[in-house]
Amino acid sequence: MKEIDIPIEASVGQSRTNPLARVFDELVRFCRSRSMFMLHYCTGCGAIELPPAMTSRFDMERLGIQPMVTPRQADILLITGYVSIKTLKRVILTYEQMGSPKYVIGICSCTVNGGMYWQSYATAKQLDQYLPVDLYIAGCMPRPEAVLEGMRKLMDRIRSDEADGWKDYYRRYDWYLGNQQHLFGDDWQTPADVIGEASHYDLAGPGTEGEHTRLLQQCQKPLEPQQTFFQIGGSLEKKGEFHE
Amino acid sequence: MSIQTLLMELVLMPLVAFVVGLFMVLMLRRIGAKLQRRVGPPMMQPLYDIVKLYSKKTQISHGWMHDIGIIMAVGGYVAAETLLPVPGMDGIADKGGLVTLVYMMMVPSLGLALGVGQCANPNGSIGIARALTSMLAYDVPFVIVVFGVAWYFGTTNLVDIIAIQQAGGVAGWGAITMPLLAIAGLFALQGMLGKQPFEIYIAPAEIATGPMVEMSGKYLGGLFVMQCFQLYTAGVLYVSLFLGGGENWLFFLIKVFAVVAIPMTVAFLFPRYKTEQMIRLMWKWPVMIGLLGLAFVMH
Ligand code: SF4
Repeated sequence: MKEIDIPIEASVGQSRTNPLARVFDELVRFCRSRSMFMLHYCTGCGAIELPPAMTSRFDMERLGIQPMVTPRQADILLITGYVSIKTLKRVILTYEQMGSPKYVIGICSCTVNGGMYWQSYATAKQLDQYLPVDLYIAGCMPRPEAVLEGMRKLMDRIRSDEADGWKDYYRRYDWYLGNQQHLFGDDWQTPADVIGEASHYDLAGPGTEGEHTRLLQQCQKPLEPQQTFFQIGGSLEKKGEFHE
Repeated sequence: MSIQTLLMELVLMPLVAFVVGLFMVLMLRRIGAKLQRRVGPPMMQPLYDIVKLYSKKTQISHGWMHDIGIIMAVGGYVAAETLLPVPGMDGIADKGGLVTLVYMMMVPSLGLALGVGQCANPNGSIGIARALTSMLAYDVPFVIVVFGVAWYFGTTNLVDIIAIQQAGGVAGWGAITMPLLAIAGLFALQGMLGKQPFEIYIAPAEIATGPMVEMSGKYLGGLFVMQCFQLYTAGVLYVSLFLGGGENWLFFLIKVFAVVAIPMTVAFLFPRYKTEQMIRLMWKWPVMIGLLGLAFVMH
């Protein structure tokens, strides 16, 4: 299990005067650790160990872990195996749409160091260069017991407020973005405005902006409204537009 | 009734509804788990979920219509709770009556439609279109049932309806005197709670939970609260119309939980119908049974 070193900063504007604040924080952390909605992005082969972990044999729901179907609703993003470069783009898009606090779990050795795809030209080797990974579960592939053990470990870390990879993503966005640009090219952009979010929620750090975010701003194209097509009786008909 | 008692009841009734609703959600998830031979979630799981969702740090709002939609969805049910008499508390039930209650129960769906419309997510739009269609489907038998009950008891006042049933003992219950309407009501209940086979607008594997697709953090928390109210409202309404309301809290809660357990148990036996299949089924069997029941009642 890898520890992420996060530069420690003095918290600004966080003086809490309410005597009940501690109790409240404790309650919130407890609830967060006991209720985790997971989005399993089933890349690679590790996904096959999730159904037994969820169904009657091991039953994740007794730990409060529930599968969810959209990134907006989810708390944990499970990456279950090797990520090809094309998939990684989707994974990052998905991650940025999730609401914080959010956690990433890398299941399988392939997410740790490339595993048996080390020599492949098309897979990303280390997931934590592109996303803040809170927990790795190694193994090719890990058994459901190991997955559950990992989940329990994550619960402990949420409980003690150590699992803050999501803050790291805001604070060192420039570094993550640099790695992403290295892989996807200079014109890589996502619809989510990470810098704007970081400053709005007071999560920005010294590494939020830098040379890579400047490059992003140079190459950024405004998002176009997407046109939707419905196929009606063989002919492709245009049916209005979706904005935002 | 003094103004203080009234105010206290108006606050207490939604609160009680919320707490009972939390346990109903727990019961539904436990039933699901037992049927699949799992252990199921711990006792306080619904509460953990809601606290967790409300404590999310970042929220994604899609505009103020999105915000108001959620408020309407929860507010509609909060208003409905004050119109539902429970043992010891009548609230404003005898002033509102059954018709107002039926209107109030439609507000949440409309609020959701407004809110989801602004998310501009195709899955959400499909989901809400299906939700309104299914409302159209189950409302026909539902209105027939409500009309039949009101006709039989000669009043649309829920307090009176309950009092008449309780005066007659078990033999005076709506389910005994109007069995056909009670059966049609069960169909409508299944559709109202959106359980399989009528789960067309949630459909996680098909349209990614439909109306909930763009809801994150507090928005989803609002919908979880709404679900508690929805289960409670549907259960209590059915108990008030057909099972003689509550003589005391113990019998009342037993009846309400038993009624809500029926749709969940049935749900696991069925796959999901298509929209047009649901409408066809809803407008055929429950309507036919309901009309037959109505004919007996009016005869
Ligand atoms: S670690 Fe093994 S099982 Fe997991 S994705 Fe890689 S090759 Fe597949």
